[in-house]
Amino acid sequence: MTYRWLSLFVLVAITVFFGAQLRNVELRTIFSDLLPSTHPFVQTYKDHPNFGNPLTVTVMIKRTDGEDIYNAETLQKVWNLTRDVDLAPAVDHDQILSVATEKARYSEATPNGIDSRPIMGDHAPRTAEEIEEFRNRLLKSPNVRNFMVSEDETATLITATFIERLLDYGETFEYLDKLVKDARDDKHEIHMAGQPVLTGWVYFYELQMLGIFAVTGLALLVALVVYMRNVVGVVAPLVTSLVAAIWGFGFVGWLGQPIEPLIMVVPLLLVARSFSHCVQFIERYYEVLHHVKNRRRAAEISLSVMMVPGVLGITTDAMGLLLIGVAPIPAMERFALFCGFWAMMLVPTNVLLTPLLIMLLPQPRNVKRMVGEAEDQQRFGGIRLLLRGIGRLSIGRTSVLTALVVGTLAVFSFGKVLGIQVGNPVEGSNLLWEDSEFNVAVSRINSHFPGLNTLEIIFESKSPDSLDRVVRKAETALTMQRLQHMLESQPNPPEASLSFADYLPEANRLFSGGNPKWGPLDHDDAAVSAAAGALMVGTGPKAFLHVADFEQRNGTVSLWYKDNRQATVDEALRQARAALAIVGTEFDDFRIRLGSGTIALQQSINDTVDRYQWVILGLLNAVIFITCSIAYRSAVAGILLLIPVNLSNLFLGAVMTEMGIGLDVNTLPIAAIGVGVGIDYGIYLLSRIYEEYQLRKDMAQAILTAVTTTGKAIFFTATIVLIGILPWYFLSELKFLADMGLLLVMVMLINMVIALIVVPLLVWLIRPRFIESKELLVSEGVDLAALAAEENDETLRKKAAENVKHPKTEMVEVAPVRP
Amino acid sequence: MRIRKYDRDFTRRAFLEKSLKGVATAGILSPLWPEIARSGTIDKAYPEELLSIDLYTKGQIKPGDVITADNVEIVKDLLDPIAYRQVKEMGRRITIVETTTDVTKLFPHEYLEATLSNAGKAKFDANGNVVTDNGKPWIGGNPFPDAKTGEEAFYNLTLSWGRHDESVYAVRDWDISPSGSLSYQYDFVWAEQNTTGLVNKSSPYLAGEEDKLRYQAVWFTSPTDAKGTAFLNTWYYDQREFPDLLGYLPAFKRVRNFPTNQRFEPLVPGITIFLSDAWAAGDPMLTWGNYKVIGTKPHLGAVSGNWTGKTNPNWEREVHGGPNGQTFFEDYKELIPEVLVVEAEPIGYPRAPVGKKRVYIDVRNMMFVSYLTYDRRGEIWKSFEPAFSQYQDGDTAYMDGGHPLWSWTHVHSHDVQTNRMSRFVQAKQITGGFGPEYNIGPSVYDKYLTAQAIRRFGT
Repeated sequence: MTYRWLSLFVLVAITVFFGAQLRNVELRTIFSDLLPSTHPFVQTYKDHPNFGNPLTVTVMIKRTDGEDIYNAETLQKVWNLTRDVDLAPAVDHDQILSVATEKARYSEATPNGIDSRPIMGDHAPRTAEEIEEFRNRLLKSPNVRNFMVSEDETATLITATFIERLLDYGETFEYLDKLVKDARDDKHEIHMAGQPVLTGWVYFYELQMLGIFAVTGLALLVALVVYMRNVVGVVAPLVTSLVAAIWGFGFVGWLGQPIEPLIMVVPLLLVARSFSHCVQFIERYYEVLHHVKNRRRAAEISLSVMMVPGVLGITTDAMGLLLIGVAPIPAMERFALFCGFWAMMLVPTNVLLTPLLIMLLPQPRNVKRMVGEAEDQQRFGGIRLLLRGIGRLSIGRTSVLTALVVGTLAVFSFGKVLGIQVGNPVEGSNLLWEDSEFNVAVSRINSHFPGLNTLEIIFESKSPDSLDRVVRKAETALTMQRLQHMLESQPNPPEASLSFADYLPEANRLFSGGNPKWGPLDHDDAAVSAAAGALMVGTGPKAFLHVADFEQRNGTVSLWYKDNRQATVDEALRQARAALAIVGTEFDDFRIRLGSGTIALQQSINDTVDRYQWVILGLLNAVIFITCSIAYRSAVAGILLLIPVNLSNLFLGAVMTEMGIGLDVNTLPIAAIGVGVGIDYGIYLLSRIYEEYQLRKDMAQAILTAVTTTGKAIFFTATIVLIGILPWYFLSELKFLADMGLLLVMVMLINMVIALIVVPLLVWLIRPRFIESKELLVSEGVDLAALAAEENDETLRKKAAENVKHPKTEMVEVAPVRP
Repeated sequence: MRIRKYDRDFTRRAFLEKSLKGVATAGILSPLWPEIARSGTIDKAYPEELLSIDLYTKGQIKPGDVITADNVEIVKDLLDPIAYRQVKEMGRRITIVETTTDVTKLFPHEYLEATLSNAGKAKFDANGNVVTDNGKPWIGGNPFPDAKTGEEAFYNLTLSWGRHDESVYAVRDWDISPSGSLSYQYDFVWAEQNTTGLVNKSSPYLAGEEDKLRYQAVWFTSPTDAKGTAFLNTWYYDQREFPDLLGYLPAFKRVRNFPTNQRFEPLVPGITIFLSDAWAAGDPMLTWGNYKVIGTKPHLGAVSGNWTGKTNPNWEREVHGGPNGQTFFEDYKELIPEVLVVEAEPIGYPRAPVGKKRVYIDVRNMMFVSYLTYDRRGEIWKSFEPAFSQYQDGDTAYMDGGHPLWSWTHVHSHDVQTNRMSRFVQAKQITGGFGPEYNIGPSVYDKYLTAQAIRRFGT
C-alpha cells in the first residue's frame, strides 16, 4: 500500500511484457499430443505413424432404397465423388481408391499372358450390359470386392490419403463435408470418417467454443453486476481476471507452445476462480470499510486479513493444476504449465492488484447495503437459513448421526468406485458425442465393412541399409501369415486381418498363369520377392502404405475388431500377446512390436489414466498435507483438510460409476482440479472456525458462525464457477469439453457440500489442539467493532498506521489494535 | 564506354508484344530459323543481352557463377517455379555457363540436317497427324522448326524423342525420400527405335512399319528383385491411338498386358516418373488437347556443358542439397534467349489426376528444358527437368557415329507435393554391363524391342 504506485508500475510492466507475447499464442489441437508419450504403444505408433491410416479419409456411399450399388445412378455417384475427391486440397493423387479408380483392377490369365485392366471403364457403367460386366469384373478381384464393397452389396467405399505437409485440416474438411452433403439424396446415405475428418470436426466445433465463451463470459459479468451493483465490485474482478489471463496466455506465447483448445474450459474455470477470489476480497473490504470509514485503511486491513488464506487457497489451486503435468501426455504437460502458471498468477493479480484497484476506483456508495444486516438477511436470508441448518448437522448429538451417514455413504461409494471402468469407449471418437455425425459415420461404416477399429502389429526392420526391403523377405511374409493364422483361429477372432503378405498369393497366382494352385508362396526370398515385384508392377508402394511403408522395410499386420469396448480391447491384446509369445518377437532381420492402431492407442491412454490418476492424487495429497500442516502448524489440520476433499473424490467416483462415466483422458485433470479447488473451501472454513473460536471459545457457536458467514462466500464461489462452466455441458458439441464441464461442476458441488458438512464435523468430533493455538499463520477473522473504535481514537489510529507501515509479525497485521 | 543498342527493357517489350500479338515466331531482331539456316548461329536473331547472362543481369551473374539461395532472386524470372523453390528452399545449386549460339551443338548432326532440309514440308492431315506434302508419315527432323502453335511445338517433341534413329540409354536412377534418404535405386536400359522419320538411313521409314512411330522398351538390371523386369511400348503413327504396353516379370516368365490408357502410374516402386512424363511428350499427341502457347520468354536451361565424361568416368555426377546433401545433381544451365511456354490438357484420359502440363521449349532446337504438371485443382505437382549436352568435355568426346553425341545427360523428376525426388543419369555403364548405343541400325529391334527380347533379358 505504501509503495502502491511502484507496485502498480511493476504490475503494468509485467502485463505489457506478457501482452506483447500474445501474438505468439497459437490455439492448436495436436492429436498425437493427447497420447501418453512414454507408453510403448505410443512409441510404436510414433515410430510408424503411417500404419492405421492416420491420414486417410473413408467415404461410404450406401444405397438406402433396398437396391444394391449395381445401378447406373449409384455408380455414377461413385465416379463423380471419386473424381471430386481428387480435387480436394492436399489429397495425394496417387492414393485415391474406389471401384471407379484405375487402381481397382481385375486380372485374368490369357493364353498370351496376364490381362490386367480397371474394373470400371472410362466412364461409369450406364447400360444393363455395362453394369453386369462391371459386376463380373469385380468378382474377379477378390481384394477389391471384399474391402471396397459391402457384403450385402448396398454400400461401397472411397478412400483417399492426404499429404500431411500440405494438409490444412479445416480447408480440406470444409471441401469434403460440402461434397458429402451435396451427394446425399433420398436414395443414398453418404458417410465420411477417418482421422482428418475427425480433426476437421474438432476444428469446426472449436470455432463454436468462441460462442460459448461469449455466453459464459456474459453470464459471469451479469452475475457480478447483479451481486455487486457498484463500479469497484465489477471493474476490479474484471481487470484482475483480464490481467491474469494476459499473463497466462502471454506466458505460453513466450514459451512458444501451442494451447490445446480442448481444455479451454479450465481457463474459464480460472477466470471464475479469479472472480470469486476477488469478490471475497472485495466483500471483506466492504465489511471493513463499513466500520473504519477509510478507504486506504480498509484496503490495508482487508489485504492483511485475506493475504495468507488467499495465497494458500490459490497455491493449492495451482498445485492441483501443475501436478496434472506428471502424466506423460504432452497436451496435459502443456496444459499443466499453462493453467498452473495462470493459477499461480492469481496471487499477484488478486492479492496485490485488487487492493490497488480498490484504492484507485471510486468508493462504492452501496457499502451499507452490501453489508447491512437487515438487507443482507433479506438478500441471503434463505441461504443463511439453509447454511445454519447445515451447520447444525455438525454439532451436538446430530453430529454422530451425520458422521454415521457420511461414513456409510463413504463405504458405499468405496464399493461403487471399485467398479469404476477405465475408458469411455464410443464407436468413433470420445471427443465427440455418440450421435455426432462423425461417430454415426464410423458406426455405419463399421457395420458394413471390417471397420475402423484396428490393432496394428508392427514388423520393424533391424537392417541399417535403407535399401534392404525386409517386408519382401520370406521370413517376414511367412511370419505375418503365421501370426494372422493363429489370431484368426482363436475362439473370438478379429473381424478381419490384413498384411502385405495377403496380397502376395494372388499376385503369385495371376502371374503364374491363373491357376489357384499357384497361389501359395514358396518359402524362400526369391519367391516372395518375385510375388512382391509382381504386385508392384504398374503401381507403387504408395498403394500399399497401409500395410508396408514406402521403402517396404517395415510392415504391419492389421487386425479389425467389431468395436472398441474395453472387453474387446482386453481380449484383442490378450490374444495378440499370446500369439506373439508363441511366434516370437525377435528375428534376424526384424522385430515385432505391439502395437499401434485405435485399439492399442486407446489402451495406452487407459493405462496411463488409470495409473496417473492415482499418482497425481497421491502427490497432491502430499503437497497439500505439507502446506496445510505448516500453515496451521498441525499435522492434524493437514489430515483434517484432506479428508473432505478425498471424500468428495470418492463420492464423485461413485456418481461417475452410477452414471456410467469411466476414467479417461477427459477426467484425468478433474480430480486434481477438484482437490485443488475444493481444499480452498476447507481452508476458508477452518480458518473462520478457528477465528470464531478464538473470539468466543464456544465451538458450536464458532462452527455455526463460520458456516453461515464463510459458508456464504463458499456458496457464492461455487455459484460463480457453476455459471462459468455449466453452459459448456449444455452447449458444447465437443463431448470432451462437455464431459469436462460436467465433471468440474459435479466436483465443485460435491466439494462444497462436503466441506460445509465434513470440515465442521471433524473439528467438532476431533477438537484438534491447533484450534486453541493463538499463533497461526492462517486466520480470516478480524474484530470489526474494535476497528471501528480504533477509527474514532486518534492515538490508536496513529499506532495502527505505524503497525501497518512497519509490521513486526504477520499476526500484528491481522489483529486490530485494541483500545 | 560501350553503348548497348538493345537493353533489357527493349527485350521485355519485345516479348510482351509477341505475347500480346500471339506471335510465336522465334527471334527478336530477325526470324530465328532463316538465320540458323543461313549462318548456323543465332547471333543476329537476338539482342546481346539475351545472349549473355552477364548483360541480362546487369553484371550480377556471370558464366561460372553459381546460383544459390543467396542470389536466386536475380534470376527468378528465368526459372520455373519448382526450380526456383529448389534453389531457394532446398539448397540446390546451379552453375551458369555461356549461352550456346552455335546451334550445331544443340542437335544430333543428322537430325539438324534433316530439320533444315525438310523444313516447310510438314502439314496436318484431317485427323490432326503430321504428314508430308504428299500425305505420307513424316520424313525426319523437326517438322516445325519455327513452331508457331502449341501443336506444332509438341509434334517436334513427340515424333522423335531422342533424335536418333536408334538410341539405347543406360540409366542409373536414385529415388530420394522427403527426409533426404535414399529410398530406391535402379539401373535400367531404355531403348528407342523410330520406325518413321528416320534421319540416318536411306529411307525415312522402316520397311513395313510405316503405321507405327516407334518401339520403345525399358528393362531393369538392378537391384536383384527388379532385375529382368521389362516393359515394351509400341507406338502407332496415328496419334489418336494409345500405344500397346506389355510388361514382363522374369520370375513368372509371363508377359502382362497393361491398360493402354493407364499412363499416370510409376513403372516401378519408388520412382516418381509416369509413362506420361517421358520426354514431356510421353503420350500420343492427340490424346492431349487444348494446346496453347501461353508466352515466350528467356529462360535458364541445362542444354550445354553437362557432360562431364572427362572427370566422371561413368558419367555420374556430384550431388548436393536436400536434407542429406544428396537430393540434387550438380548441373549447368545457360541463358536460353527464348523459350515457348506451352500448355496442354489430358482430354483423352477421363481419370487423369493431371489437370494440365506446362512445357518450356527452347526455340533453338525445339527441345523441352523444363516440364511441369499441375493437378486438377491447379496446384503445381511435378517437375521433370532434363539436362542436355553435346558429349564433349575438353579433349574428350563420345561419338554417336561420325559426330560428337548430342543427348540428355541427367534428369531431376521432383514430385513437390509428396516431396519425393527421382534423379537419374545417362551412365557409361550400368549393372549387367550395358552402356549407351546410338544409330546402331535395325538390329536394335530384335535385340531389345520385341516380346521375345524382353523375355530374354529376364533370363
